[in-house]
Amino acid sequence: MMDTLTLLTTLEAVLVGDTLTPLFTDGLRSFFRPDTLARIFIEGLGKAAIYFIIAIGLTLVFGLMGILNFAHGAFAMVGAYLGGILMVVGLSSGSGTFTRIAFFVVVVAVIFALLTAVGAALEIGLVRPIYDRTPMYQILLTFGVGLILEELARIIASARGIQPEPTWAAAQATIPTVLGTPSEILLNLFGARIRGFYLFAIVAGAILAAIVWAFLTKTLYGLYIRAGSEDPEMVEALGIDVRKAFTVVFGLGIGLAAVGGVFLMWDPTEGPSVLLNLDVLLYAFVVVVIGGLGSFKGTLVAAIIVGMADSFTTWVFARGIIDFSGLPEVTIFLLLVIALIVRPQGLYGVEEVGGH
Amino acid sequence: MALLELEGVHTYYGESHILQGVDLHVEENEVVALIGRNGVGKTTTLRTIMQLTPPREGTVRYDGVDVTGRPTHEVATNGIGWVPEDRRMFGYLTVEENIRVAVPPEGDFERLRDEMFELFPDLERFREKEARNLSGGQQQMLAIARGMVGDNDLLLVDEPSEGLAPLIVEQVVEVLREASAETTMVLVEQNFPLAMDLADRFYLLDHGTVVESGSTEGVTAEDERIRRYLSA
Repeated sequence: MMDTLTLLTTLEAVLVGDTLTPLFTDGLRSFFRPDTLARIFIEGLGKAAIYFIIAIGLTLVFGLMGILNFAHGAFAMVGAYLGGILMVVGLSSGSGTFTRIAFFVVVVAVIFALLTAVGAALEIGLVRPIYDRTPMYQILLTFGVGLILEELARIIASARGIQPEPTWAAAQATIPTVLGTPSEILLNLFGARIRGFYLFAIVAGAILAAIVWAFLTKTLYGLYIRAGSEDPEMVEALGIDVRKAFTVVFGLGIGLAAVGGVFLMWDPTEGPSVLLNLDVLLYAFVVVVIGGLGSFKGTLVAAIIVGMADSFTTWVFARGIIDFSGLPEVTIFLLLVIALIVRPQGLYGVEEVGGH
Repeated sequence: MALLELEGVHTYYGESHILQGVDLHVEENEVVALIGRNGVGKTTTLRTIMQLTPPREGTVRYDGVDVTGRPTHEVATNGIGWVPEDRRMFGYLTVEENIRVAVPPEGDFERLRDEMFELFPDLERFREKEARNLSGGQQQMLAIARGMVGDNDLLLVDEPSEGLAPLIVEQVVEVLREASAETTMVLVEQNFPLAMDLADRFYLLDHGTVVESGSTEGVTAEDERIRRYLSA
């Protein structure tokens, strides 16, 4: 009979020596190649930028108003479809890179303005009458609005002969070639094949973060919002119309969700589709819960963590190191579970935030 | 004409009937103390004046205008400052930002802020510090500064000495005395001698109604009409 020592030695040879060790060392060697590191880092930052863009509106609304806006993902979906319509109608096949990017910026501005106005009207017409009720009413109301928008999008897209799932390819195809294909610059610098879209997302995310940060810290209205996120009643007692601030912030939250949708229109892994409603809502929630509900800094840091984890696990599990393409998404939700266990209020969250 | 008048005010929290017909008036440049045991409705009276908890019956008039049921921010911009019981700092804002929130958008922030810093030198020293990192006394100073900085004509001060060391209480009293030279004040205070020292007149509340009122001159906690309402 084989003694214990021999058994362990045999097991080690079979499992570690012959199977796992080469996989591990090959993977490690591959990971430390400059092109892999560059790819993971740059794609990670690009994904972080997208996560930040889709989550910041949600965190602003919760921070001031204490409302979990379950229609957030639906408005991102609306942004993606409206952005797609404007891009498809406004551009021709001959439009060059500069025209496409410039038109995209115009589309972002138009959709932000339009959806901010829609959001403000929604706050006045539907959300305001139920402030005095329990949070469940707000959750049900916004979730209902989200479902209505999703079904409307499905009906309209189908009626116009556009496939509602998985993506509206024509809108996604308005991306200029330089963003839709691996970037030449990064290929020359690191030998890494990284889509130009991720560089574009990094720049756009940085600009948006700077604008939101400047709004919150450098303007009087931003100061009222930061104060109101701590104690809206006290802000009201100091002579500031908090209801008006609620309307503005809810509108901005919806506008930012729609801007996120416009970006996702070009995202190679997303594109305009009714599935965006749930996708955006889930990922935005993961980011704001990890970062701390209502915290700008938390949203930024959590977006970077989730983006990097997504990029790393995508490389590990979806690019051949270990073939298990479903795992990157699981990892992101695993991060959420860990955050909820270790630090339930999130990285930068305070125990009590939001006015209701 | 009184600067502030409450007539037959009834205020509820849900179904709890807290103020049961409060009548009071405050003349310009007066300091009026609201005294009474815990839970008799002193803080609710201040919240009712601010319309944070509007009355179901009765009227609140400020400067001759009926403000009953008006939004709180309108009441505040009419010239009423509120220094709440637990200070309610914006803990994640700096001292300067806390003051900035209280200055009306069209107000001269720098002038008003410097006036407050002159009155409260400690606040100038910690102007860049987040309010949550201040001591209790400094937070109370900031709360008073925030209530005064909007060029308010009436200041509602709720339990300013609560939780403070005796030495700090003395400083707060001095500040309130200085403030009372320029501002009419309604003061809620558990510390009876302190309230009598600062105020010109008092209202004694019990079970949501005014049971005694008058000048504070010569009034002590030993007076029978006071003692039976303040003792446990």
